[in-house]
Amino acid sequence: MSEQNIIEIQGVEKRFGSFVAVSDLNLTLKEGEFFSLLGPSGCGKTTALRIIAGFQDHEEGEIRIDGRTMGEVPANKRPTNMVFQSYAIFPHLNVGDNVGFGLRKTKFSRKEIKERVAEALEMVELGGLQDRKANELSGGQRQRVALARALVMRPKVLLLDEPLSALDKNLREAMQLEMRRLQQKLGITFVMVTHDQYEAMTMSDRIGVMFAGQLKQVDKPEVLYSQPCNREVASFIGGMNFLDAEVTAENAETLEVNVKGLGKMEIGVNPNVQVHDKELLVGVRPEQLEISAEKPDGYDALVQGEVSDVAFYGESVHYYVRVDGLKDSIAVAVPNYFHTVDHTRGDTVWLGVQSASVIDLGKRESLGGDK
Amino acid sequence: MTKAFRFSWLLVYAIAYLVFLYLPVLLLPLFSFNDGTIVAFPLKGFTLKWYAQLGQQDTLLQAMVNSLIVGSVTALMATSLGLFAARAYVRYRFTGRELSEGLVMLPLVIPGIIVASSMLVLFISIGLKPSLATVILGHVFVALPFSVSIMKSAFDDFDQSLEEAAFDLGESVVGTFRRVTLPIVAPGIVASLLVTFTVSFDEFVLAFFLSGNSPTLPVYIWSQIRFPAKLPNTLALGSLLLLSSVLLLLIAEYFRRRSIQSSD
Repeated sequence: MSEQNIIEIQGVEKRFGSFVAVSDLNLTLKEGEFFSLLGPSGCGKTTALRIIAGFQDHEEGEIRIDGRTMGEVPANKRPTNMVFQSYAIFPHLNVGDNVGFGLRKTKFSRKEIKERVAEALEMVELGGLQDRKANELSGGQRQRVALARALVMRPKVLLLDEPLSALDKNLREAMQLEMRRLQQKLGITFVMVTHDQYEAMTMSDRIGVMFAGQLKQVDKPEVLYSQPCNREVASFIGGMNFLDAEVTAENAETLEVNVKGLGKMEIGVNPNVQVHDKELLVGVRPEQLEISAEKPDGYDALVQGEVSDVAFYGESVHYYVRVDGLKDSIAVAVPNYFHTVDHTRGDTVWLGVQSASVIDLGKRESLGGDK
Repeated sequence: MTKAFRFSWLLVYAIAYLVFLYLPVLLLPLFSFNDGTIVAFPLKGFTLKWYAQLGQQDTLLQAMVNSLIVGSVTALMATSLGLFAARAYVRYRFTGRELSEGLVMLPLVIPGIIVASSMLVLFISIGLKPSLATVILGHVFVALPFSVSIMKSAFDDFDQSLEEAAFDLGESVVGTFRRVTLPIVAPGIVASLLVTFTVSFDEFVLAFFLSGNSPTLPVYIWSQIRFPAKLPNTLALGSLLLLSSVLLLLIAEYFRRRSIQSSD
C-alpha cells in the first residue's frame, strides 16, 4: 500500500426523491488498499459503489479517481472496473471472449489479447478454459471469470458488489483468502461492498460501516472491533453485551464509571466516541468474559448469575447468564478447548470482567429502539 | 354425479367444440385434392392439378410477391420498433410509460374495419395513394403489439447488469447494444419477425382498403372466390398458406421459448 490517494470522495450526496440513499459521503482511499463498505441491506453501500463506478449520478459533492475529477465522466471512461453481484457473465460468449471483451476496444492486437486473456485466466486458476461455454460454468467459476474479465483491463480500482454472496460457505471462505492474495499480488485498490462482517474483516485493510446512507466509522478491522464508535457499529460487528453505566468522574484518558450489574470501575476513553454523557453505554465482547462455577481471582468485577441458555457452536460454546438487576442475559463465549460443555441450564456461575475489556460506547441515546 | 360422468360430458363438449372450430379449416385442404370443380361430397378422386395450375397464374404470383414484400417490410419495421419500445418499457420508469404501452397494445382490440377506413381517409387526405406502402404502414400498426409483447418477454429476464458490465468494460452505448443486447435477445427478434410476418401475410381488411391496384394474397383470394371455376385453385392456395402459417408460428414459438431459456 502506498501513500498515494487513489480515490477521494468529498461530500457526495444521492437522493431518490425524498429518500436520501447516500448522505455527505467523505472517504479517501490509498493506492493498493483493500477497502470494504459494510452495512445492512438498504444502507446505501451499493449506491455508493455505483456512484464511484459511474453508473449512478449524484447531486452534490465530488469524486476524484487517480487525481482526475470524475464529474460527468461515464462508466466506460473511468479507470475502474466492476465485479457484479450476479457476475454478469455474457451468456452468448465463451470464457475467453468474456474475459477478452473489454480488450477488443483497446489497441491490442489479437495475439496480445489472447496472451492477456490466458494470463488473466491463469491468475484466477482457470487456465486453459478459454473455450468453455458460459452456461457450463459453476458458481465459483463464474465468479473467477468475472474477476478475470475486470482485472484483465488493469483498472486503477476494482469495484466488487457482494462478490461472494452467491457462493456456498466453504467456497466463499476459500475465495476470501484467494481474492485477498490476488489483491496483494497485483497491488490494485479493491473496493468491496458486503453485508457480511466476517468477509469484510478477513479481507480488508480498512472497513467503512454504513447505516441509513451515512458512513459511521472507517477503521482497520481490529479497531472497529475493539473501539466501535456507537451501538450500531458495535452490534453489527461481532457479538456484544450492552450495559448501562453512569460516569462518576471524567479524566483525560479514562472514565470512572458505575456499570449496572458489574459495579464501579475505571475504563479507557474510546477515541472514536464523539460525545460523552453522564449516562453512558458500555459493551463487553462475549469472549472477553470469564465464566466459572467457582469464584475466580484477579478480575476487576465479579458477578453471580444463573445460566439460562447454552448454545454449542463447535469451535466455541455460548452461555447466556441471567444476572439480577439486568434486563438482558449476558452472553459469554468460551473456546471449545477440551471438548466439554462445563455449565448447564440452571447452574449458578460467576462471571469475571477486566475493566480493560469494557468498551466505552458513548451516549446512551444511540441505544436505538430496545431500551 | 360421479366425477367420471362429469368428466366425460366435459370431454364430449370439448371435442364438439374443437370439431366445430377446426372442421371447416380441415375441409380446405381436403377439397384442394378433390378432382372436381364443385365443392361438395362425395369426393371425386385425388388430384394435384389445382396445385400445379397455381404456378401458371401471373396475377396470383404477383399478389404472392406483393404479400411477401409487405410481410417482410412489415416484419422488419414492427420488430425494430418493438425491440426499442420493449427495452424502454422493461428498463426504464418514465412518465407516460403505462399510457404509451396501452396505446401500443390498442390495435389488438380496435376493430380492423375502423382502423382500415380511418387510415384510408387519413392517407387520402394527406395525398398518399393506396399502394403497398400504405398497406405496410397499416400492417406495422397492427403487428406492433405482437412484436412489443414478444420482445418484452425477451427483455424481462435479461439481467440489466450484463449491459452495465459491457459499458463498464469500456464499450460504448451503441457497442454494448450491438455486442451484448442484440445477441442475447436474438431468439426473441427471430420470433417477432416470424409472428409479425404471419400477421401481415394473413391480414385482409386493411390490405383490402389500402392496397389499391396491387392486391396482396388474401385480397386476391377474395377476388377469386367470385369465380366458381377458380375455387379449387383458391382452395389449394389457401391450404398452402395455412400450412406455411402454422409452420412459421411453430418456428416462432420455438425461438420465443429459446429466448426465455437462454436469458436465465
